[in-house]
Amino acid sequence: MRSHRRVLKNSHAEAEQFRNRALLAFSGVVVALGVLAGWYFNLQVLQHDEYATRSENNRIKLRPVVPARGVIYDRNGRILADNVPAFRVDVTPEEAGAPDKWLPGLAEIFSLTEEEIEQFEKARRTTRGFRPITLKMRVSEDEAARFAVDRWRYPGVELVSYLNRRYPHGELLSHVIGYVGRIDEDDLKTLGEANAALTHIGKTGIERSYDEALRGQVGFERVETNVEGRSMRVVGRMPAMPGADLRLSIDLDLQQAMADAFGEFEGAAVAMDPRTGEVLAMVSLPGYDTNLFVNGISHADYKTLIDNPSRPLFNRLVLGGVAPGSTLKPLIALAGLDSGMRQPEDRVMSTGMFYLPGVRRGWGDASRGGHGWTDLRKSISHSVNTYYYKLALDLGIERFAHYMREYGFGEPTGVDLVGEIGGILPSPEYKMQMRRERWYPGDTVNASIGQGDWKVTPLQLVRSIAGIADGSLRRPHLTLEQRGGFEAPWQALPQPPGAPISSNPENLQVVREGMAATMQPGGTGWRMALGAEYTMAGKTGTAQVTSRRDNAAVDPRSLPLHLRHRSLFVGFAPVEDPTIAVAVAVEGGGYGGSTAAPIARKIFDAWLTGAMPEPAADEPVPATIAESDGGPAGAETPEAGPAVTEARR
Amino acid sequence: MSLILRWLFDLGVRFGRTLDWMMLGALLALMGIGLVVLHSASGGSPHLVIAQGSRFAVGLGALWLMSRISPAQLRNWTPLVFGLTLVPLLAVLFIGTGRHGAHWINLGVIYFQPAELIKLSLPMMVAWYLNRRALPPRLDVVLVAAVIIAVPTALILLQPDFGTAMLVAVSGAFALYLAGLPWWWFGTAFAGVAAVAPAAWFWLLKPYQKDRIFTFLNPESDPLGAGWNIIQSKIAIGAGGLSGKGWGQGSQSHLNYIPEHTTDFIFAVLSEEFGWIGVVVVLALYLFVVGRCLWIAAEARDGYSRLLAGALGLAFCVYVIVNGGMIAGLLPVVGVPMPLLSYGGTSAVSLLAGLGVVMAVRVYKPVHAR
Repeated sequence: MRSHRRVLKNSHAEAEQFRNRALLAFSGVVVALGVLAGWYFNLQVLQHDEYATRSENNRIKLRPVVPARGVIYDRNGRILADNVPAFRVDVTPEEAGAPDKWLPGLAEIFSLTEEEIEQFEKARRTTRGFRPITLKMRVSEDEAARFAVDRWRYPGVELVSYLNRRYPHGELLSHVIGYVGRIDEDDLKTLGEANAALTHIGKTGIERSYDEALRGQVGFERVETNVEGRSMRVVGRMPAMPGADLRLSIDLDLQQAMADAFGEFEGAAVAMDPRTGEVLAMVSLPGYDTNLFVNGISHADYKTLIDNPSRPLFNRLVLGGVAPGSTLKPLIALAGLDSGMRQPEDRVMSTGMFYLPGVRRGWGDASRGGHGWTDLRKSISHSVNTYYYKLALDLGIERFAHYMREYGFGEPTGVDLVGEIGGILPSPEYKMQMRRERWYPGDTVNASIGQGDWKVTPLQLVRSIAGIADGSLRRPHLTLEQRGGFEAPWQALPQPPGAPISSNPENLQVVREGMAATMQPGGTGWRMALGAEYTMAGKTGTAQVTSRRDNAAVDPRSLPLHLRHRSLFVGFAPVEDPTIAVAVAVEGGGYGGSTAAPIARKIFDAWLTGAMPEPAADEPVPATIAESDGGPAGAETPEAGPAVTEARR
Repeated sequence: MSLILRWLFDLGVRFGRTLDWMMLGALLALMGIGLVVLHSASGGSPHLVIAQGSRFAVGLGALWLMSRISPAQLRNWTPLVFGLTLVPLLAVLFIGTGRHGAHWINLGVIYFQPAELIKLSLPMMVAWYLNRRALPPRLDVVLVAAVIIAVPTALILLQPDFGTAMLVAVSGAFALYLAGLPWWWFGTAFAGVAAVAPAAWFWLLKPYQKDRIFTFLNPESDPLGAGWNIIQSKIAIGAGGLSGKGWGQGSQSHLNYIPEHTTDFIFAVLSEEFGWIGVVVVLALYLFVVGRCLWIAAEARDGYSRLLAGALGLAFCVYVIVNGGMIAGLLPVVGVPMPLLSYGGTSAVSLLAGLGVVMAVRVYKPVHAR
C-alpha cells in the first residue's frame, strides 16, 4: 500500500518552496503590522484631538455642590428654620437596573413604605435615567449602617448626605415660615438644570417668597471620576453660594404669646410695629407642623390635615378674607373728616333703627334703643351704626370706595408672603361684575358697617389701623435683614416709604381719640383695658358670616363654629406713642368685645409689659451651632444668633 | 572553588549555546515593557507585577528547556505530545471553570488553560504529519491535516472559546501554507467558511459572541453595553497621541474606563501612556521576533523544524495583529491576549516554550544537518 511506501521527498524543492512561502508570509506580516501601525497613527495622531476631548469628558464630571439653605432667625436671633445633616438614599436608575433586582433588598434595609416606592416609580417614569432619584429621605443611622455592609450589592444606589430643613417651632410659625418641599419636575423647569441638585424648594410662607435668596446658588466641582462614577479627586471647583440667612421681624416670644392668647379659639392675628411696618407676630390658628412637609408628607398625615374642619393648612392671614364689621368704622370716620363731609362735632341721632326711603326693612344699631346723639368720637367708641349709615350715604359709594381703596382695601398689602389675596372692596363695579346687579343705596348702608360684600384680610386691617396710629400707611413686612453667609454682615432689606393716610393730622387725632375712648368706661372695649399699665386704642367688630336674611331667624350659637360670627378687634398701644398695632379675628368668637379684645389685650401685655411666656425647658431651639456642626462642606452653620440690642419698645 | 567556577562556566556556555540571543533580547525587551505597563495598569500595585514576573521566569525556564530539546527528538515525541495535550482539552469540558464557559482547569495552585498547550502541540503535529509526506501536499494529505486541525479546534469551540479556536486552527493552517498548500485550497477554504458561517452563527456562537460581532460592526449602537469596551479602548488609544500621556498617567485605565486593562486590553494602556511611538516600538519588536522565527525556519535543514518554527512564528504574529486590531476597533473582539504584554500565566509560558522550540531549531541546526 502507498501509506507503507517510503515517501519520496524533494528536500531541496521543499526548502525552496518554504523560503518563498515564508518570504510571502513575512511580507504579509509587514503589511499587516504596517496597517495596524497606520490605524494607530490615524487614532493617535490624526484623530487625537477628538479622542483627547472624549477622554477628558470621560474622567471629568461636574459634580454639583449644594449650598446650605439660609437659616431663618427671629428678630432676636432665635432660629426659626435651620438645617440638620441627614442621609438619604439615591438611586440612579441607569446604573441600578430594573427595580426588581434591588428593590426587595433595599426595602428590607430601609423599611420603605408603599408611598415611597410609589413616589420613586413615579419619578423614575419622568426623570432621565442618569439622574439620581431619591428613594428615601432621612435614613436612620441604623439603616445607614446596615446598608453600608451590603452596599456592594447595589450599584447605582448611594447614601447621600444632605442638609435636612428643620423647623423647631413648626406649628407655631407654620403660616409665617412655611416649609420647603421636594423639588418636582415643574420646579425644575423654573429652576433650570443647573439647580437640579437642589433637593428642596420653598413651597409656602417665607420659605417660598424668599426662596431665591435662601437657596443660594449651586456650585460645581470638577471631579475626576472612575467608570463607576466614584469621584477620585477634585480638579477644580466653582464654589456654591450659600443661601442667605434671614432675620425676620417676628418676635418668637410674642408669637408664642399670641398663639397662647387664642387658647382653644381658632382665627388669625397680626401684630405690627406701626412705625415701621415690621410684623412682630402673626398667627393663623390652628397651625400644623411644617416639618411634616419637608420630605414629602404621607397620605395619612395629609388626609388628617385636609379633613380637619378647622382647615389648619389655610392661611387666614393672607388668604382668609372676612367681613371687617365695625373694625372699619375708624377708617370710615377718617374718610368722613378728610372728605369734609363731617366735622368732629357733627352729631347724628341714633334711634336704634335706620330706614331708607322706600325700603321697608330697617338697619339696626347695636343698642336697641339707640345711642342718642352721636358725634364722631362716640360713633367709634360706642360703635354707632346709624352714624355710619348716614355718613356713607352722604359720601356716596364712589367716594366711599375711593377712600377705602386709599386705606389699602381691595388690594394686597404687599407683605412678603406669596399668594396674598386682595380681598373684596364693595363697589358698584364690583357688584355688576360679580353678580350682574346694580348697586342699591341699601348696599352702601351695608358697606358702611363692614358688612355685605366686604372681604378683608387681617393684614389689611392691621395695616390700616397702624396707619391711623402712625399717620403713615406702610407695607407690612416680615423680614428685617439678610446676610450672604455666616461671615457676611447683616444687611437691612430696604422697605418702601409709607404714605400719609390723611392730609390732616388733626383728623387723625380725632379718630385716635375715638378709638382710645373705646377702651375707656362706656366704650365697647372697656373691659379689655381694665388694669392696664398703658393706654390703648381700638375698635371691636363682629363679622356676620351668614347672610343677613338667615341671621335674623337663627340663634348664632346654634350654628357650627365656622358659621358663627367672627369676633374682631383692631387697635394699637400705647396711645401716645404707638409701638404695636394688632388685628385679631376669632372664628366663632361672637361679639368683638368678648373674645377678640381679650386676646388683643394679652398681645399688648406681652409686648408692652414684657409678660412673655417663659421658654419651656425642653424648647428645641439650638442656641449654638453644636447640633448642625459637622455638616457637609459648604454648609453654612449658624452661630448663636445675631446680637440684637434693639429695644422692644 | 575553581571546580565550582568551572561548572558554572560550563553551565553558562551550555545555556548560551542553546539560546538565540537576538530573539531573546527582543523577548526580554517585550517582557520588560509588559511589566512596566502592567505596573501602571494595575494602579502601581506590585502584586500583579511580581506574579507576572514569576510567570515570565517560569516561561523563560520553559524556553530554555525547550531550546535544549533537539528538534529530531521532539519530532519523535510529537504524536505522543499531541495526544497527551488533547486529554486536558477534553477534560476541561467536564471539570473546567470560566466566566463565559469552561476554559480553565483548577489545579489547586494555578489555573491552567489546556488550549494554550494545543497552540504549541497542534503545529507540531501538523508539521510532523506533513514532514512525512511529499510536499506540496496532495488532496488526501491536506484532508488528513485538516482533520488533525479540526479535532482540537472543535474541542476548543465547545468550551466555547471562539477566539482561541480560530488561533489554534490558524497555527495549523500556517504549517499547511508553509508546506506549499496549493493556492486554490485557500479559495476553497474561504468558500467553505462562508458556507459554514451561517450554521456556526446559529449553532456554535454564544449570544455574547454574537453581541461582540454586532458590536464590532457598529460599536456606537450600544455605547453603554457591548460597544463600551471598544469605544473606551479607542478613546484611550486616541487620547494617547504621538508620545502618550506618560507612564502611570493614563486616565482611561486608571479610572477603570478600560475593561480588563491588565489582560486583553493592556495594549490600549500602553497606547494611552506611551503614544504612537510606544506602539511602533512594540510592533517593531514583535516584527523582529516573527522575522527571526521565519529566518531560523528558513535556515533549518529538515522539514519538520522548518514548518514548526515558521508556523509558531506566524501564529505569534497573529496574536499581535488580532489583539492590536481588536482593541483599536479594527477587528471584532475575541479574547486574544497580547503576547508577553497581557497579564496571564499559561499564555506567557506556552508562548515562551514555543519560542524555545524555535530557538532549538537554530541551535541544533548544525548538529542535525552536518
